[in-house]
Amino acid sequence: MRTGIFICHCGHNIKHTVDVKRLCEYFSTFPGVVVSKDYPFVCSEPGQDMIQESIKKQGLDRVIIASCTPSLHSELFKDLLKKSDINPFLLRRVSIREHCSWVGDDIEINTEKARRLILAGLYSAAHYIPLEEKVVEVQKSALVIGGGVSGLSAALFLSRMGMQVYLIEKEDELGGHVRTLKNVWPAGRDGKIIIEEMIKDLKGQNNVEIFTSTTITDFEGFFGNYEATLNTPAGEKKLTAGGVIIAIGFSPFDARTKPELHYGEDERIITTLDFEKNGDRLKLPEKPRVAILHCVGSRDEQIGKPYCSRICCVNALRVADAIKTRYRDAYVESFYMDVRAHPRGGEEFFEDTQEKGVLFTRANVAEIIPAPGGITIRGEDTLFGEVFEREFDLVVLSIGMSPPEDSKLIASLLKITLDKDKFFLEAHIKLRPFDTAVKGIFIAGSCSGPKDVEESINHGRASAVKLFGFLNLGYAYVDPFISYVDPKRCSGCRMCEQACVAKAIKYDEIKRVVHVEEAACMGCGLCNATCPSSAIGLKGYMDSMIDDEISAFLEAI
Amino acid sequence: MKGKKIRNGDIENALNKFLKDEHHLVLGFKKGTDGIHHQVFKGGVDNYSLINHVFGTNGALYLRRIFSKGIEVLLMMRPCEIRAYVELHKLTQIEREDIIAISIDCPGTVSSKESKNNMPAEIDQLKGYFSSNNSMRWACSVCREKRGVVGDGGIRFDKTGNLWIIPYTEKGERIISIIEGELEEIPHEMLIDRSKETEKFQVDMETFNKDFEKCIMCMNCRDMCPVCYCLDCVFNGDEYLPKGDALLNKVFRTGSTTMPRGKDLFHLIRMYHVSQTCVGCGACEEACPQGIPLTKYFKGVSERLQGLFSYMSGRSFDEPIPYITFLEDELKEAED
Amino acid sequence: MAEDEKNKNPEIVGFACSYCTFKASEMAGSLRMKYPEGVKLIQVPCSSRVDPAFVIKAIVEGADGVFVAGCHPGDCHFIKGNYYTRRKIAALKEMFNIFSMKEKLRLFWVSAAEARRFVEKVTDMYNDIKEKKNEG
Repeated sequence: MRTGIFICHCGHNIKHTVDVKRLCEYFSTFPGVVVSKDYPFVCSEPGQDMIQESIKKQGLDRVIIASCTPSLHSELFKDLLKKSDINPFLLRRVSIREHCSWVGDDIEINTEKARRLILAGLYSAAHYIPLEEKVVEVQKSALVIGGGVSGLSAALFLSRMGMQVYLIEKEDELGGHVRTLKNVWPAGRDGKIIIEEMIKDLKGQNNVEIFTSTTITDFEGFFGNYEATLNTPAGEKKLTAGGVIIAIGFSPFDARTKPELHYGEDERIITTLDFEKNGDRLKLPEKPRVAILHCVGSRDEQIGKPYCSRICCVNALRVADAIKTRYRDAYVESFYMDVRAHPRGGEEFFEDTQEKGVLFTRANVAEIIPAPGGITIRGEDTLFGEVFEREFDLVVLSIGMSPPEDSKLIASLLKITLDKDKFFLEAHIKLRPFDTAVKGIFIAGSCSGPKDVEESINHGRASAVKLFGFLNLGYAYVDPFISYVDPKRCSGCRMCEQACVAKAIKYDEIKRVVHVEEAACMGCGLCNATCPSSAIGLKGYMDSMIDDEISAFLEAI
Repeated sequence: MKGKKIRNGDIENALNKFLKDEHHLVLGFKKGTDGIHHQVFKGGVDNYSLINHVFGTNGALYLRRIFSKGIEVLLMMRPCEIRAYVELHKLTQIEREDIIAISIDCPGTVSSKESKNNMPAEIDQLKGYFSSNNSMRWACSVCREKRGVVGDGGIRFDKTGNLWIIPYTEKGERIISIIEGELEEIPHEMLIDRSKETEKFQVDMETFNKDFEKCIMCMNCRDMCPVCYCLDCVFNGDEYLPKGDALLNKVFRTGSTTMPRGKDLFHLIRMYHVSQTCVGCGACEEACPQGIPLTKYFKGVSERLQGLFSYMSGRSFDEPIPYITFLEDELKEAED
Repeated sequence: MAEDEKNKNPEIVGFACSYCTFKASEMAGSLRMKYPEGVKLIQVPCSSRVDPAFVIKAIVEGADGVFVAGCHPGDCHFIKGNYYTRRKIAALKEMFNIFSMKEKLRLFWVSAAEARRFVEKVTDMYNDIKEKKNEG
């Protein structure tokens, strides 16, 4: 074995608290270690050149890079190994920055810890075998789940770029919530018109199939070849798609969850959504007294909705504005926690509304009490610390966005994660805001957290662009970290088969051993830990590798 | 519950009738010149013994990897053996299709290494014999299920000296139909009672190390364990227990090392591996040339680990082995 | 460091799942949070990859403590992996309890966002073990 160890200073980040020189000397004495070098930045071009030269000149067959954490720069170093004509899976990354130099301050202690970490890498890498990344063909097609404004914009972009698009919608018509909005911020256009335009464009494309009144019943496969089973009005339908965009929107908060608001019991207590639909038809006295409650179903720990729904402040302001426009002498009072009129033009609109005479009271509303003469609002003014009671003719609840009712179902079907509020979780909040942890499955619109219409359209397009980039390549690499079975050692007890979550293990009735369906294996290693004789092993995380890492950590010297 | 009362000779007759079919076999006990041993009967039974008061091995050991279809095997064995069979069936080491398992009330056994002279052969006398001295194997004295209540059917003894055969499944009914007579309500009280709860096993590493000091790593305990079913045990290779140069390397890396190396690792890992399937039969201890109190550890640990999931090995064909299933809402106390 | 003192410091081997706890430990490092050097991590794709044999091996080879850490129940990237982990590790903890060493094994759930929780959990474990070790 010819191993090369490269220890990075990361400028001062590592060198500052780890004696890299001493480590280099120490490892250079190891049998089998032919190169042991330190370098200020191994990820820099000269650093990469140094590694490449060592691989070529010394004929290395193991490369150990002790630097930052493996989730950074791994692709770069893997490519470097490929360029140097050795298998990229003979690379071992050892994290001596995030897990060592940044964790403690004592240079002696850190150097000793780094030594053990690198030792573990060295022992473990001895068991590495070259692995082949399998190339799979990627279908140039996408499944868009949800035909709201976000799903429509994603579908439209993908179809224009020449991808086959399957758009499925649970309801009997496309458009989602936007279809019901009469006046979409900021331009005040009718939502129905926006939707109709998009649908017309979409139907003009010849590579789009739209399924309405359709739900997903089963979902299998992997990036490039996902297989979905649909329940359509015409019966069951199966289709394959390269990637998926989830745009299942949101559920309006159900104000009945808070019984003290008496929503649904009195027709004078309505939500902003009711107002949007039937605001014109409301019967109000000449000088109506209208109360508007902000943050209904948002920023409320008690009902498990600690997040801000972002859209409802502007909705509340628009209700206030609409009433003030229709009834100049109306008494309109807004009860708010904080006014967060975040979208473009929101802040100016807030000021306009105030100028029109809408009263803003910072308050905690405790209860709404409907009575024949009027509706009493009882609460506490949080600026003056006073308890108040006031009577109104109409109460409008500015409701927030709740996660879509199908979020759990879709998450479990597509094997993706929800965040703590039950919206879909992005892979990385800054670096990968449109991706899920599953390759080729993207999220768009308010199903990943409250968004307004403009943002939802943009989010849909952005996810579509990202997915297009993946699909257009036409091929993809599959991680080779999957399980394999040594049939000579397998006792055929089928424990792994029964435990396997991905159902990737199949039993051969004749040979009485199991085998792994490579395409279905997720690479979790549960089977490996379940098999008492370790006849099934997870490539890249073999028993021998982990055992030796343990030994290296605990070596008594 | 209903069963058939058996008269003298009924069982032998029934077995002989069953064995008339050339594709039928019976695995049971035969009286030999020196004690009673497992026997596979073909064609008919001779010197048949319903019970065996001597424990040498667990008969389920011989059932592993019986897959052939069309050969019907009737098991007439102790409850611990039938329980091990049930576990092996869950582990696909036996095809259940052609196996009929009858468990027989067990009064307890002595070790095959003990003197068997002067021991009575009848069950009611045996019961008295065991209560008059302490020759019973420790494993039997703490047995969790001595009653013939597992498998497809059971043979039970009542307090007046009658034998009953009771079907638990359709297969059991089929066998019982060979015996003449009508099904009738079985007596409430039987000779062999439900086992008493034993004390929870508790030990420390010091005692463990002392108890296992003698271990020579012959691995007989593993080889004779009915539920240690792996064709190629992890301890066969040198991954866990390095040999040769790998061992020297290890010694150089870790310093002075007691030999045989890794016996603690071997026993602890095996203890975990069989924790849900161990039936506590004590075959390991019987096989140990060094007299290590293996049953105490293996049965003690497995009983507590099974208790965690309200599981009992071999109790039922339908309970899945706990490690391959889960409940979403459980074991909160295990989370730190 | 004096040799005696060194022996008093516990060695803790932690198994951390790539998707949650290992990510949390990366974040803890990036945030320059401090935790004892005796805590060393082995990265596994999922906590369900942890064979209880690894834990036993680590203890037999001299580790003072072992922890297995993964995603919170229900959040497993591999959907159900951590439920199996919980069963296996709960059983193993019971076994450790039988051998009067239950303090040596812990099971944590730490999500990718919970760097602070990661540091608290490992530090608590380290301190508890150190206390116990120096008592006897």
